Amino acid sequence: MFPEDEWGVKLVVGAWRNGANNGSNGVFTPDDPGNFARRQQPMLRHLRHLLALLLLLVASRTVRAQERFTISGYITDSASGEALIGASVFVQEISKGVPANVYGFYSITLDPGTYTLQVRYLGYRDIVRRVDLRSDTKLNFDMVDAATVIREAEVVGRKGKGNTESTDMGRVDVDVQKLRTLPAVFGEVDVLKVVQLIPGVKTNGEGNSGLYVRGGGPDQNLILLDDATVYNASHLFGFFSVFNADAVKNLELYKGGMPAQYGGRVSSVLDITMKEGNDQGFHGQGGIGLISSRLTLEGPLVKDRSSFIVSGRRTYIDVLTKPFLKEGSGFAGSGYYFYDLNAKANYRVSDKDRLYLSGYFGRDVFDFKGPDPGDPTFRIPWGNATVSARWNHVFGPKLFMNATATYSDYDFAFQGGQDGFNFSLISGIRDFGLKVDLAQYASVRHNLKYGGQYINHLYTPSTVVVESGDVAFNIDEPSKLRAHEGALYVQDEFEATDRLLVNAGLRLTTFAHVGSYTEYLVNDQGLTTGTREYAAGDRIASYTALEPRLSARWKLDKSSSIKASFNRGQQYVHLASFSSVALPTDVWIPSGANVKPLIGTQYAAGYFRDFADRMFETSVEVYYKDMYNLIEYAEGVQPQDNGNANYDANLVFGDGYSYGAELFVKKRTGRLNGWVGYTWSKTMRIFPDINGGEEFPSRWDRRHDLSVVVGYDLSKRWQFGAVFVYATGQAVTLPVNRYWIEGQLVSEYTERNGYRMAPYHRLDLSATLNNRDTKEVKDPTTGEVKEVPRKWHSSWTFAVYNAYNRMNPYFIYFDSEGVPSQGNFQVVAKQVSLFSILPSITWNFRF
Amino acid sequence: MNRTLPLLAALAVLLSSCEKEITVDLPETEPKLVVEGTIEVGGPPIVILTRTQSYFAPTDLNSIAAIFVKGAVVVVSDGITTDTLDQVCSSQIPDSLIDEAAAATGLDPDLLASADICVYTDLGNQLIGVEGRTYSLYVAADDKVCTSVTSIPHAVALDSTWFRLAQDEPDDDTLGFIWATLSDPDTMGNAYRWYAKRINDGSDGEDKDDSFIAPFFSVFEDRYVNGLTFDFSYNRGDDPYAEEDEDDAENGYFKVGDTVVVRFASIGLKEYQFYNSWYNNVASQGDLFSNPANARSNVDGGLGVWAGYSYAYDTVVCQP
Repeated sequence: MFPEDEWGVKLVVGAWRNGANNGSNGVFTPDDPGNFARRQQPMLRHLRHLLALLLLLVASRTVRAQERFTISGYITDSASGEALIGASVFVQEISKGVPANVYGFYSITLDPGTYTLQVRYLGYRDIVRRVDLRSDTKLNFDMVDAATVIREAEVVGRKGKGNTESTDMGRVDVDVQKLRTLPAVFGEVDVLKVVQLIPGVKTNGEGNSGLYVRGGGPDQNLILLDDATVYNASHLFGFFSVFNADAVKNLELYKGGMPAQYGGRVSSVLDITMKEGNDQGFHGQGGIGLISSRLTLEGPLVKDRSSFIVSGRRTYIDVLTKPFLKEGSGFAGSGYYFYDLNAKANYRVSDKDRLYLSGYFGRDVFDFKGPDPGDPTFRIPWGNATVSARWNHVFGPKLFMNATATYSDYDFAFQGGQDGFNFSLISGIRDFGLKVDLAQYASVRHNLKYGGQYINHLYTPSTVVVESGDVAFNIDEPSKLRAHEGALYVQDEFEATDRLLVNAGLRLTTFAHVGSYTEYLVNDQGLTTGTREYAAGDRIASYTALEPRLSARWKLDKSSSIKASFNRGQQYVHLASFSSVALPTDVWIPSGANVKPLIGTQYAAGYFRDFADRMFETSVEVYYKDMYNLIEYAEGVQPQDNGNANYDANLVFGDGYSYGAELFVKKRTGRLNGWVGYTWSKTMRIFPDINGGEEFPSRWDRRHDLSVVVGYDLSKRWQFGAVFVYATGQAVTLPVNRYWIEGQLVSEYTERNGYRMAPYHRLDLSATLNNRDTKEVKDPTTGEVKEVPRKWHSSWTFAVYNAYNRMNPYFIYFDSEGVPSQGNFQVVAKQVSLFSILPSITWNFRF
Repeated sequence: MNRTLPLLAALAVLLSSCEKEITVDLPETEPKLVVEGTIEVGGPPIVILTRTQSYFAPTDLNSIAAIFVKGAVVVVSDGITTDTLDQVCSSQIPDSLIDEAAAATGLDPDLLASADICVYTDLGNQLIGVEGRTYSLYVAADDKVCTSVTSIPHAVALDSTWFRLAQDEPDDDTLGFIWATLSDPDTMGNAYRWYAKRINDGSDGEDKDDSFIAPFFSVFEDRYVNGLTFDFSYNRGDDPYAEEDEDDAENGYFKVGDTVVVRFASIGLKEYQFYNSWYNNVASQGDLFSNPANARSNVDGGLGVWAGYSYAYDTVVCQP
């Protein structure tokens, strides 16, 4: 059914924000990153500041918390046992509420007395409970899905704390289960594609699932799947994200105002939570679509205590490419597929302890055989694997801990061959991480979080292996790159006055590139003259930084507020890209002696206002963002140039900035719901070695970007959706002049990204038909006909992508043919469009 | 030895559902001088001087002929002898020598025959390429000056060359590639270029190839093969000016019965970098799978290349 409120996307309820303690210790000179790096202070000193602050916060809490009692517990779905992330517990008497965390845990501390608690979650029936608070109280809530109790598609407007209440700026939650009624390309529901419809988030071309948040590159997003980092979140060169919507429960995006609990990336955080599995009964769901099929099974291992979920997805071989691989085209033998597998299990050891184990494994395999004699053949496999083991522990009603151990792996290989000549290129990254997060619910006015993290990185930069016949070329086993990354953070969201809510935080980060490592010594002609060896554990380069995070809300009146945020972060991993689309050849590299940490600073301010009893939410946000120490490959570098060379040998360095304004109007409730988002922005880059040192627009610079998303619930059985997008044409580099060398036409490029392709716009439509949820059963004795619920539910989604068949530019190339002296020479510019009008049908089921 | 580009091009083919011709409004910029100059062992310097033109400038013969620069001052020096090159124009050459001139300059014989094209060389044989020597170039034309320096490396001979049938066409017992064994010298920085010419008679009773043809990506360096002895192969390159009457099935292959002269050139590293980036530029032509990049010229003040060559020759008779 169409969610009556917030169509899958909601600006979330008063959650803990990022924060920043502006307690500058003189280290920061935001306008001078070089100086900043040089003036790093010893880590110990930062540590002292942080601990002092921590103690202060904790102590103040303890003193005031005397004679008060705490209500705490878990909020879950009664039918599945899944935690309801963000469900709110609202205390009517004091008009304050707290949200449940990502594990469904909440805690609220109050003076002794009698209170009315109202538990709310979008799409679920409210629970109202009277509590006589005389001691610490444990109270778990099982909520009932409104859809199962309301027969018609009635509108149940939930009115939790929202838009104008929280300190949130640029935070967006996507409820994945509510996305199915949106139109999607090939009918493949994709959580990242929905995120792209939020103002401030841009795409990089047709069908691309990459996220470009407020001018930041794709490597500046921290993508977490159950706390494990996912390095390459896309399949098929970016057309699909790796997140199987059936296995994903919740997605949270921070496009600004990043909380101190997150770090390591400067633009955004995408925190994705996998479903836990139904602990009440065995269920399944799945779907059959045009290009892939999905199946998910879940159920209790031990009822009420333990459950599992397994979810798989696989594309049909060649469906995408077959139309282009006609018999005799010579491409026969080429093919492409990908698959994903998600699995998760949890165990409730006691009321205070829960264990979760989850994993993701996905792979893409691309085979290619060229049409012409002597053309090479290729096989390109790549994929991610993540594992996370988590332990929740409730130390007391006010202190919640989550300890996580994670493993992340991304690897890529490119194996090519041609008549006895074999070429392969591999690269990858592997992380082991440990993390402890503590949440202290000191009082209704304070929400304190602190914790620490350690990650052990192992990078395999491009490794080339070449064989000709039996002779292996002497390409060195490239030095793997090892690094340690650590962080400590503390943040507090506190209500200074009824009008002012502040979220302040500090994050101390440190990074060291260590041996073993072999450095190539290179002479001024670029030739290798020798090597220098670093022993295991030798420090090659290290960096430390204190990152302030601060955001605040000032309430103007009941339905409007202004907010502001500032945050600064450092990033120690970088993605070096060879092309203008997200290809898996892109290589992750660490900061090191020459590659300085990427530093990002963002300032944002906004005005938020609700109308018509929160039927409409609106906001205007402006931001300015600086980025220092960005990397690019030098002009003309090819992947194979990275062999027998230092990993940073082919890089050039520069800076960037972005600013913009974002408008958002959302209709939350009613049969007709949806939103309009508009962004005006400018994103530029300055590299001394690119474009002659002149400033140039980034590839994802879009002056105008508009998204309109509309949903309409006609009845319980029929729902309709529409999406319209418009964006300024992509900036591309085109040749300006031509010349000839040895009879070949050569292109001369002058300005980087100096040309704009035609604007991108598209309308998608969808209709979802739910099969009847009930069936008629005749009572054999009385003959009475009754309606009973079906166990098996299914629905059809009919969608049309690009409904008015707009030929949007995907790329432009210049083609020439003929020989001038033969009078048949000509040059033409051609624009390639990827997807014309694309109808699709998807059948989904659950039981 | 760039083998990745065909893949990227193919990806575009696999994924693209439709394309259309569009008009692109490009900015006008001042034309630059383009140098295509070579000096080989035992031969005089040859410099072809052209200008860039707007990408969508007219494509008729007159427009193309107009890019050749006449009346330039071109000076080459080996440090001892400094020689101002002579301008030689195709209108001065008897028709019977046009093909020879085309083979020497790498220009289109039809173009030389139908337009007055001028190049610069040393008719007096005062400056002849010698292995190990360094040659500087000075060009003044169109109120612009370009300079460059190149050296002629010592030639490296192939250990052996042979013909082998193509493995990807098992049904065919006539088509194949030329293979070679190379022992790379034990110093870093060697770079090579491969040419081949079929000297047996074609259907017209003349040599199958008029000149040495370098196949696409005919250059490689020894970064990965320094000091090694190894085998490699090349397909047959296309004559860029050939009429389109060749048997498509044989395109890219040598054939049993061909007699092939392999010309194995040694070039400098900077020159290698030019040719390699030039091939990448020609191959990509603005596609989205590679970052657009200019050819890395070794000419200051202009575009193109000034390259010294030394050659080693081998002859292969293609037998199954």
